[in-house]
Amino acid sequence: MTAADTAAPKRAARTPRKARDRVRKVAFTRALNDALDLAMSKHDEMFVIGEDIAEMGGDFGVTKGLLAKYGPERVRDTPLSEAAIIGTCAGAAMVGMRPVAEIMFADFIAECYDQVVNNVAKMHYMFDGQFKAPLVIRTACGGGFGGGPHHSQSVEGWFLNVPGIVIVAPSNPVDAKGLLLASIDSDDPVLFLEHKALYRSRAEVPPEYYTTPLGQAAIAREGSDVTVVAAMRMVPMALEAAEEAADAGVAVEVVDLRTIRPYDAETVLASAAKTGRVVVANEAPKIGGLGAELSARISEECFSDLKGPVVRVDGLDTPIPFSVPLEDVVLPDAQDIAAAVSTAAQY
Amino acid sequence: MDTSTLTGLYRDMWLIRAFEQGLEREFEKGNVPGMLHTGLGQEATQAALAWHLKATDAFFPDHRCHGINALAQHRHGGDGERVMAELFGKATGVCSGKGGSLHSADPAVGNFGDNAVEGSYMATVLGVALAAKMRGQPNVACAIIGDGTVGRGEFHESLNMAAIWDLPVLYACVNNGYAISMPVGEGHASADIVDMVQGYGFESRQLDGNDIVEAWTVVGEAVEHIRSGAGPYFLEFKTWRWQGIFAGEFRPEAEVKYWKEERDPIMLAGEALAGRGVDQAELDAIERETTDLIEEWIAFAMESPAPDPVKATADVYVGWEVDSR
Repeated sequence: MTAADTAAPKRAARTPRKARDRVRKVAFTRALNDALDLAMSKHDEMFVIGEDIAEMGGDFGVTKGLLAKYGPERVRDTPLSEAAIIGTCAGAAMVGMRPVAEIMFADFIAECYDQVVNNVAKMHYMFDGQFKAPLVIRTACGGGFGGGPHHSQSVEGWFLNVPGIVIVAPSNPVDAKGLLLASIDSDDPVLFLEHKALYRSRAEVPPEYYTTPLGQAAIAREGSDVTVVAAMRMVPMALEAAEEAADAGVAVEVVDLRTIRPYDAETVLASAAKTGRVVVANEAPKIGGLGAELSARISEECFSDLKGPVVRVDGLDTPIPFSVPLEDVVLPDAQDIAAAVSTAAQY
Repeated sequence: MDTSTLTGLYRDMWLIRAFEQGLEREFEKGNVPGMLHTGLGQEATQAALAWHLKATDAFFPDHRCHGINALAQHRHGGDGERVMAELFGKATGVCSGKGGSLHSADPAVGNFGDNAVEGSYMATVLGVALAAKMRGQPNVACAIIGDGTVGRGEFHESLNMAAIWDLPVLYACVNNGYAISMPVGEGHASADIVDMVQGYGFESRQLDGNDIVEAWTVVGEAVEHIRSGAGPYFLEFKTWRWQGIFAGEFRPEAEVKYWKEERDPIMLAGEALAGRGVDQAELDAIERETTDLIEEWIAFAMESPAPDPVKATADVYVGWEVDSR
């Protein structure tokens, strides 16, 4: 783990006590904006770079105000050149800078896939540790708002098979801020996934600098009957399903992965062993993704503890259609998770 | 150019040739794993670049990069044999054998590593240059590419961003006539790459990549231009590679004969030195000494141990260990 990761205790999704009397309800986007501001004050070597991030503040306002405070050298607009954006970050990181890129929509990462997979993720390894790539790639992912096939995808599966990359995926504003600060501190390259449907979610976010450790899941809700493992938007949906299940007398434990790669297998497997009934919830298509990995790992390592097979909730094996009623067919929701919990609870 | 500089460059070119010829021999014997792309015939281009780039600069070597890697290592680190050992996949290599021919790097000598996906470091070079500019350092970031890279999108993204940000980048395009087997004029809108670059608005120049005097002079001017803060510079070295393709020679016999017998950069430099009154015995001694040195490097590589198996799972992440089961 990096030094920064020791700063917060495990499962520290809650507000630090000392900050409680100063808390305010803050949107996910504002929490990210706070994190960038605090990190830029802390790291002289940090700059942010991307399309329309300076004057405009990014498509979702996450970089708003940074240009006025830090100037155009450190808050850089670029042309529509995703490969050059990530390449610029990679080269700057090789000589000790700490860049944070914004790729406007996660779908556009296909334009710089080679940079992420063959350059950034492998640099530390193939050059025998002589270079590090301490960069963060922030990007807006996920569906549910009629964005259509190229503005709605969940891309974590594209990178799960790529050693060297860290994938961070917050589910709430408090973690979003702490995880982004930890990602910027990290000496490994981080793909930081921001689910668009969470951008307007609000929570009491401490105003000060704090980090949430990378590679550690959080128990978002404790329970003894069924475990739901989830990330990003699937977490609030799992919590909603858990409320419903509680009414029916089923105690659901929700594990919020927070980091998808490398993920916290210890916490996942401990919860699976404890309840013996597991639901894995994942917005992306079913084949070859996060749900498949979790299901396989839990089945392999907790076989004797399981009371029945892992139940999977996934997106359908299709692109994301534009029309919202069609999108509703393709993407999983809280009702799908609730149904899966009911199935698992029968074991 | 004074005679001692030309003699030094002649020695550098011989070091590259001896390195590549020795390597080819060992490859054929099965001592060098993987694939082999030599820079034979392109020695003048590499020697000119290596001469002007400092250890504090950064260069991204191209697909036929052993020569410049070895020269930079020899010149700035005094341990060129570690470039040879890397090609043999040995523990003593500059990347402990983890990189090999196409991923050999040592930032201490300014070598920022090749990337086997052509065009990738056309993007990376921007970041190294941007960092130098933001920090006010007079460093040059150099991307050495082949003509084939011109087909990649990152080539154009890079030239555009270097232009709008006025970055200290030296683009060294080694136009050896073919992208694998595709003739340059068939694969690109122009067989003269500089014609395609001119629209980006910064300095660009085409030169004879087999004439060491011209190459050394022009590279020197371009590097000074960049160091002075005047922005990027694009050089197109017209040259020719001796190596065919994996399956053998595919180019017309007359073309091969012309480049090897009339346009050999080392032969041309030797003639220039002879014209200045340098003894043939001195030139022969340079050939012998560099060849002997390379044989020592090959012996070093052969005798070096294989990497420790723990290296296979080391340095995937900085902050995590990888399961070694």
